Amino acid sequence: MHICIAILLPLIGGALLPLFKFKTLRSRGIYVEAIVILTSLLIGYMLLNRTDTIYNLYTIMDGLTICFRIDGMSSIFLGLVAFLWPLASLYGFEYMTHEERPNSFFAFYTMTYGITIAVATAANLFTLNMFIECLTLITLPLVTHKQDAASIRAGRKYVYYSISGAAMAFTSMVFIIFYSDTTEFVLGGVLNPSLISGNENLLRWAYVLAFIGFGTKAAVLPMSKWLPTASVAPTPVTALLHAVAVVNTGAFAVIRVTYYSFGCDFLRGSLQHYVVLTLACATILYGSSMSVKEQHFKRRLAYSTISNLSYMLMGAALMTPAGMVGGLSHLVFHGVMKIMLFYCAGAVLVKTGKEYVQDLRGMGKIMPYTCAIFTVGAIAMVGIPPFCGFVSKWNLLTAAAQCNSFIAGIAITTLIISAILTAIYLFSVVIAMYFRPLNAEMADLEGLKKDPSWMMKLPFAILVITIAVLGMYSAPLITYLKDIALGFIF
Amino acid sequence: MLLPILSFGPMLMAIISFIVGRYSKKTRNILVISTTVAAFVGCLFLWPINTTFTIKDFCGVGLSMGVDGFRSLYALIASFMWMMTALFSPEYFAHYHNRNRYYFFYLMTLGATLGVFLSDDLFTTLIFFEIMSLTSYTWVAHEENPRAMKAAGTYLTVAVIGGMTTLMGLFMLYNELGTLSFAGLSAVLKEGNPSTTIVVAAWLTLFGFAAKAGLFPLHIWLPQAHPVAPAPASALLSGILTKSGVFGLLVVTTRIIPANKGFANALLVFAVITMFTGALLALFSVDLKRTLACSSMSQIGFITVGISFMMLLDEEGSLAAYGSILHMVNHSLIKLCLFMCAGVVYMNLHKLNLNDIKGFGRNKPVLHIAFLLGALSIGCIPPIGSGYNSKSLIHEGILEYIELLKESGQGYGIYKFIEILFLISGGLTIAYMTKLYICLFFDKAKETTTHGNRKYINVLSSAAILTSAVILPALGLLGKALMTPLAERSMSFLNLEILEHEIHYFSTENLIGAAESIAIGLLIYILIVRPLMTRKTEEGLVYLDLWPSWLDFEKIVYTNKFVMTAVPTVITALVRFIGELPETIVYTLKKTVFKKLSHKKAIPVGNRFTYGFGLFLNSIASGINKASRGRTHLRTDNEFVLAAVSKELINGTNLIGRSVSFGLLLLCAGLYATCIYLLFFR
Repeated sequence: MHICIAILLPLIGGALLPLFKFKTLRSRGIYVEAIVILTSLLIGYMLLNRTDTIYNLYTIMDGLTICFRIDGMSSIFLGLVAFLWPLASLYGFEYMTHEERPNSFFAFYTMTYGITIAVATAANLFTLNMFIECLTLITLPLVTHKQDAASIRAGRKYVYYSISGAAMAFTSMVFIIFYSDTTEFVLGGVLNPSLISGNENLLRWAYVLAFIGFGTKAAVLPMSKWLPTASVAPTPVTALLHAVAVVNTGAFAVIRVTYYSFGCDFLRGSLQHYVVLTLACATILYGSSMSVKEQHFKRRLAYSTISNLSYMLMGAALMTPAGMVGGLSHLVFHGVMKIMLFYCAGAVLVKTGKEYVQDLRGMGKIMPYTCAIFTVGAIAMVGIPPFCGFVSKWNLLTAAAQCNSFIAGIAITTLIISAILTAIYLFSVVIAMYFRPLNAEMADLEGLKKDPSWMMKLPFAILVITIAVLGMYSAPLITYLKDIALGFIF
Repeated sequence: MLLPILSFGPMLMAIISFIVGRYSKKTRNILVISTTVAAFVGCLFLWPINTTFTIKDFCGVGLSMGVDGFRSLYALIASFMWMMTALFSPEYFAHYHNRNRYYFFYLMTLGATLGVFLSDDLFTTLIFFEIMSLTSYTWVAHEENPRAMKAAGTYLTVAVIGGMTTLMGLFMLYNELGTLSFAGLSAVLKEGNPSTTIVVAAWLTLFGFAAKAGLFPLHIWLPQAHPVAPAPASALLSGILTKSGVFGLLVVTTRIIPANKGFANALLVFAVITMFTGALLALFSVDLKRTLACSSMSQIGFITVGISFMMLLDEEGSLAAYGSILHMVNHSLIKLCLFMCAGVVYMNLHKLNLNDIKGFGRNKPVLHIAFLLGALSIGCIPPIGSGYNSKSLIHEGILEYIELLKESGQGYGIYKFIEILFLISGGLTIAYMTKLYICLFFDKAKETTTHGNRKYINVLSSAAILTSAVILPALGLLGKALMTPLAERSMSFLNLEILEHEIHYFSTENLIGAAESIAIGLLIYILIVRPLMTRKTEEGLVYLDLWPSWLDFEKIVYTNKFVMTAVPTVITALVRFIGELPETIVYTLKKTVFKKLSHKKAIPVGNRFTYGFGLFLNSIASGINKASRGRTHLRTDNEFVLAAVSKELINGTNLIGRSVSFGLLLLCAGLYATCIYLLFFR
């Protein structure tokens, strides 16, 4: 019941937002923040009092029900989203003073929260698939928010890719419905061995379809082109949705399907297993190398997201409990790190209007706070201890090494090469910020301090502390993830 | 508990001093100096201790620190060097920019370096090693001029690639053995031949450490980075940060693949090349700090030669091990002294080229004494050159191995050749130090460099320089009393036995070796440097830069034009191809199968309604025109306007319809395929 409230509260709250006539920006801010914080508190309460009951919302027909449940994996994603959303809204208030039509923006932004909760708590494949499609539709206005040619093109691309992905995912869902007794998520898979005998190979191909289909949201090759294009959206969107919420639902869904629907025992060692692993590796390298080449700051981060999302998909594609731990831990840590990097990009964009990497030269003296935060984020992202990026990469590497096959060696090499590429594309920005002189046309900024106000600084500070703490004391979280992956706790 | 305080304390103080430094420079300086002194005192307390300390689950793997004879020795040396450079820094940086940033990273690096030397497993080593690499980057880039930026870029690239490669090696080791602690590694790997995986892992692990130590072919950053950094920083870079690489080298060679002959021989090749080319580059250089930097590279080569022979000799390797350890210690202290001397020159003249600084040292006793003691030590001149003691031990190690091969009747020609190269490199060392010494203190000064009677150094700095200088002759003269115990306490770290017999530093054999080197050195100076590398002009001696500019290892191998353009081009093309694939397919389909039949861009044609209504409006408008303004023709034809509007409307609806229907179409296709399959093929 609580779940339903948590989903509906931001949905209704967001939908009602355009109806109110807010006198000041401040009152709208308080309204949005109140809804978001209330929802987050509700989620926090639910996570602390977790029960293993399925909340059945509606039965369309036998076997197709919309139902919700908070199990271990949901709790991870829910916790991440509930932690980040209030911060993101806070950041959005200052950012959106520079954009038009903030009302409609915040309406859809808040509604997305509800849908994301629904995705995270979906108890069966049908519900998951349905809400992922809802997510596409509800975020479309956010991508096209600027309503110029570029953003409309980006929005169209986003829809094309997402719907195609959804179609593939839908197809494979039908297979699951048909070949199993239930579509609920059960660790280890729900396929009925007596039904599938003789058709194993076909079902494994159906899995590849699901991997690419759900992976579309996580921008796996060959469906990755939409993400960099979509970075034309306002920064709060690119930060929260295209670095955390939306794209993580893709990775989340892939991990769900792999471990909870098809079951990794069924898939491991087959040709299809190697196909998906190769796709993940290829995407990692693709994202990193494009990122090195990209000069547009936000697009560079978007490519970086592509590569990092495939770290999670690789965790799924390893098909061992350790791989799941690696994937889930990267899901959490990457979310925190990347949202911070995007916020820095957004702060620079808002305060100075600069969006290319070469324009960031000498920014360290103008926006010292922002640049310091970015530096920490970059170090964490590359995977240098003691920050949290290291922990998840170490987990993934360990998981890959335990697989002990040729392809695992390739996975390890990929991760290391990608780490070096990450260092190149992020440190080059850091170096430009601190050790290069200001651009000539920016000389008028010399000596000014342009750091944003507390509404942006507070999220920065909280995120940095989170990164450091998660890096140094990751043990409780990792143990929790291990328990989930091994099925010790539901 | 002292161990984590020693490594994290300075980092904390770095933050505090950064904040303090924004308000008061003086308090900040005092704070920095007292932090380094406190670190030194802390390391003194570690001297007799043998302990470990672990923080479980730090960064998911756990942090474990430990201290024994060797590690406490090196922690002490590190903190000593920091203390001395901290005393020297206030004067040197008096006219610098960004001092706060410098001091912040200065203390951060102190903590990280102590962390490296006090680590008890390779993972901890790597954590601190990475922090150290990143924080010391700012030293190299401090000047922010193009030369410094390039050097810093190279430094960072080498450091990051090295660190990641080492991480990969560690990772393989961990996966294979399940432990990374020093004790655990030597327990697991003591017996038998290592597997291929272990050997590969060892090389990968070695990579990062060798890069930091400046071993050929990863030395490229070293001759660039040391000269551009501020002098106190280059003293530390050269004296202690390279040693952290050697520390890693020692761990790899004694823990991961102890006494592996093939590995040792390969390492020996790199070591010999480093030793010789370093010395050669130093001889050709006409820049004070660059000469010292190349000399560092060469000395690291000497140390690594010692380590290789320690591995080759296996259980009898104690002598070579003594030599390597002591040479590490000596080199750290020597370079501290010499780089601070170079710092004195630079802070007065802001020049480093030998032709600009020659004769600067005349009538400057403090500088003269310090430089002379340093030069004698690095030139290995007995009896007061401390370098003599350690280098002759390495030399003895080489002779011992040759002797061993002779006894067993194996060929030893190649090792004999290495011995000769060893002596020649020693000679080159003497030659380039003589060149520097004569240039600084005996050549006739230019008028700009005479400097008059102005004060060239303050009390604090001269105290720092003289303290670090007088240690050297003490070590040289009292080898038995001071050096042997230092080596003996280090042996347990290397898993080697302490030598039972006493070491005679001034035996005839060693003295002959030293004499040979000195003779070679003086000959090189008299026969090559003087006539070939200098030219007499009216202004006195001019030092020529004879090293051909095209002969730059980095340019030839790493930043090769072909490699730098071809590789990214190929990768980009490939990546682009993959990324664009789905859209290319869609585009091709659109251009071929789903091609539109006609592309005519005609005048908009509306439907009946727009036509009629347009004509109607036209007639009204012309009527009004005629009546009121007396014009007959219309400005706009309403018929076409309406037609265009209607077309736009239709297009818009089509677009929305198409994008939704496209999705639905795919959905239905999927459904149909599934249904057909379910119905007919199940």
